[in-house]
Amino acid sequence: MRVILESKVRAKPNLPIEAEAIIPRNFLKGTDLVVYEGNKERTLSELFWIFVEGTAVAPENIEVILKGDTSRIKRVGEYMDTGSIVIEGDIGMHCGNFMSGGTIEIRGNADSWLGREMRGGTILCRGNAGHYCATGYRGEKKGMQGGKVEVSGNTGDFCAEYLAGGTVHIHGSAGDFPGVEMRGGELIIEGDATRPCGNMKSGTCVILGTVHDMLPTFEKIERRVLPAWKITADVYRGDVANRGKGTLCVRC
Amino acid sequence: MTELWVKNACVIDPIRGINGEIMDIAIRDGRIVESVSDRADVIDAQRCLTLPGGIDSHTHVSGTKVNFGRYMSPEDMRAGRTKRKGKMHVTSGYYVPTTFGNSYRYSAMGYTTLLEGAMAPLEARHTHEEFTATPHQDMMANTLFDGNWAVMDAVREKDVRKTAAVVAWTLKAARGYGIKLTNPGGTEAWGWGEDLTGIHDMVPHFAVTPAEIITTMIRANELLKLPHSVHLHCNNLGKPGNYQTTLETFELVPDLNAARQTLYATHVQFHAYGGGTWKNICSKAEEITRSVNSKPQIVMDMGQIMFGRTMTMTADGPMEFNLHCLHNNKWSNHDVELETGSGIIPVTYSKKSAVNCIMWAIGLELALLTKNPYQCLLETDNPNGAPFVKYPEVIGLLMSKRYRDEECATLAAGVEQRTSLCALEREMDWHDIAVMTRAGQAKALGIGSQGKGHLGVGAEADIAIYPIRTDSVDPAREYRKVVEGFQKTRYTIKRGRVVSRDGEIIVDGANATFWVDAKVPEDLKMENDPEFIKRFEQFYTVRMSNYPVQDVYLPRGRRIETEVFT
Repeated sequence: MRVILESKVRAKPNLPIEAEAIIPRNFLKGTDLVVYEGNKERTLSELFWIFVEGTAVAPENIEVILKGDTSRIKRVGEYMDTGSIVIEGDIGMHCGNFMSGGTIEIRGNADSWLGREMRGGTILCRGNAGHYCATGYRGEKKGMQGGKVEVSGNTGDFCAEYLAGGTVHIHGSAGDFPGVEMRGGELIIEGDATRPCGNMKSGTCVILGTVHDMLPTFEKIERRVLPAWKITADVYRGDVANRGKGTLCVRC
Repeated sequence: MTELWVKNACVIDPIRGINGEIMDIAIRDGRIVESVSDRADVIDAQRCLTLPGGIDSHTHVSGTKVNFGRYMSPEDMRAGRTKRKGKMHVTSGYYVPTTFGNSYRYSAMGYTTLLEGAMAPLEARHTHEEFTATPHQDMMANTLFDGNWAVMDAVREKDVRKTAAVVAWTLKAARGYGIKLTNPGGTEAWGWGEDLTGIHDMVPHFAVTPAEIITTMIRANELLKLPHSVHLHCNNLGKPGNYQTTLETFELVPDLNAARQTLYATHVQFHAYGGGTWKNICSKAEEITRSVNSKPQIVMDMGQIMFGRTMTMTADGPMEFNLHCLHNNKWSNHDVELETGSGIIPVTYSKKSAVNCIMWAIGLELALLTKNPYQCLLETDNPNGAPFVKYPEVIGLLMSKRYRDEECATLAAGVEQRTSLCALEREMDWHDIAVMTRAGQAKALGIGSQGKGHLGVGAEADIAIYPIRTDSVDPAREYRKVVEGFQKTRYTIKRGRVVSRDGEIIVDGANATFWVDAKVPEDLKMENDPEFIKRFEQFYTVRMSNYPVQDVYLPRGRRIETEVFT
């Protein structure tokens, strides 16, 4: 089954829409869902043109497609566990929070907090992602714990902060402090990064571009070839300032 | 004139010697009276358990320390969210909730009076501001003197009168209620980069020992005739083997007051550890309670821990630093100029940790081994041991051996060998619980004369009616009913108004803040003491004239005056 949601023109297009109801499982019983525009409760049909093609007996066969101006829609795919969501344009903050299964594809850019506290599933962002991509909630000890986040473009600051499991793959560059407080999992940045992996406890980070302002609290272990990436890299252990045993590989 | 008639109440009022009588209570204008007219509103208590409003004699709900706990734990604000509803504000948080969250949840449990355990005088304004936003409980603030420079100078000179004068001035300036000593001397020593290991170590730069601070403060407290005694958090909190320090401290305490204790030792669970390391830590609750049972001048409270996530916050900075080294988690420490310090870190008490399980058992042992329930009060040092919403579970554990055994079966190995909890058969009754949650507190805090903690004529009409029928519930077997019953009152009445019904707040509160104006002879007034003023202006970052809390911070302040000593 395919559900196409095309956003209607709104009088106040900057008002954010809180749409945690948009997950494939919820469309099994119909399209009568509630979202919030600012602090006002709205039905889905007040904000979207809804087209449903075909039927489904199980949520894993449901595909939700968002079209039109979706850049102010927040929390799409929160607690999603199966099925797929395709966003043809940009998406607002907190897309894929707590997601545990299924796939989200964003053809445009994603705003901040993409895949926050994700547990499983896949998020593919074709454009750039904002700050705090694949991280945790403020103050929480574990961020993303499983699944995969792939960003074709760049990300903002604090990418993969508190990463505890799963894979984060950034094809472009990351901003300031990627992989800070990492506890596990894998972070790959194909572009550049600034001050990566501060306070890292465990896990692996590979940076194929240039590292700016490398932190002095990482201990250089060896230089070795990484066959998966076809590069020679300096391998660091750290963050020694906080008894960390993480691995940071930087192309040399 | 507002009148209320509570009929068919099964009253337990230990201070007046009433134990489970079915009676009616008449209330007029916030006070309990002999009788009311027939125009009064009527509440039928249906023979449910009716107690004086609960009193928490040591909790951390207001002030800079608590608020920094909120700052540090944004993740906690995801828990316990409730929407605005009727008179209720939005609340959030579990172990460091918003002020209204604290107030509503205490009120739902039938608590009407709270003592904030530690207020740094310099930061008193913040505490009082949060008191006004904790509207359903009358508040008091224990004021920290553990590292007060002027006090330590007076102690070194062995001048009890001068010590009393400094205390009186500071209490009035901070609008505080009583004397709190938190790791006396230790926090100050730590401010200079050193640590004290016992009560006879010298505090650097001040040439006094914790033992001298404690004994002199006790004498100063009694000289000033303060309603509450010295409120002590002993040295060496949370260190294996610290029970020796606690026993030594108890030995120092003379019996100076016939009406109440001379020393209130708080969260003694954290001070009753044997062994030498975290590997061989064991319970010394028997030694501690043997000492307390023979000393009527001491009252302690449990400091029970309950399993789960919480936040530790105390003025005991060095202890929090040691704890931080153990957990390697986020951490805050703070030094308060010439007064004290503080530390805050989050912790999780786990059933998988043998140390945590032993701590859990020690708290219960202390309560069960203390013969007189007036000498061991129920609290968790909220939120250090557990958030106060766990009190009903603590009550359940104290009342039911079966509940304790079931809990023990789920704990890490070692509890049976290293504590005596499993061998204790005692099951507390309703009267013991009433003592440990209100009557004992009222007596220990000296607020019986303010009309707290009892339901006699003239008392403040603070009443909690729990949905428990004591004649049909057997707490030993049906402990779940007990726990549920104490979680939510049917009615909580505060100063003659029903504030909470079945856990829902139905009015805006109007609490009072009690503070003590201790009188001293004219020649001992600190505001006229040139040496005191000189030191103050030299070392504080504020001027002495800007230091005292203005009355505007206490919109409903209630001043308790003491007599002048000679």
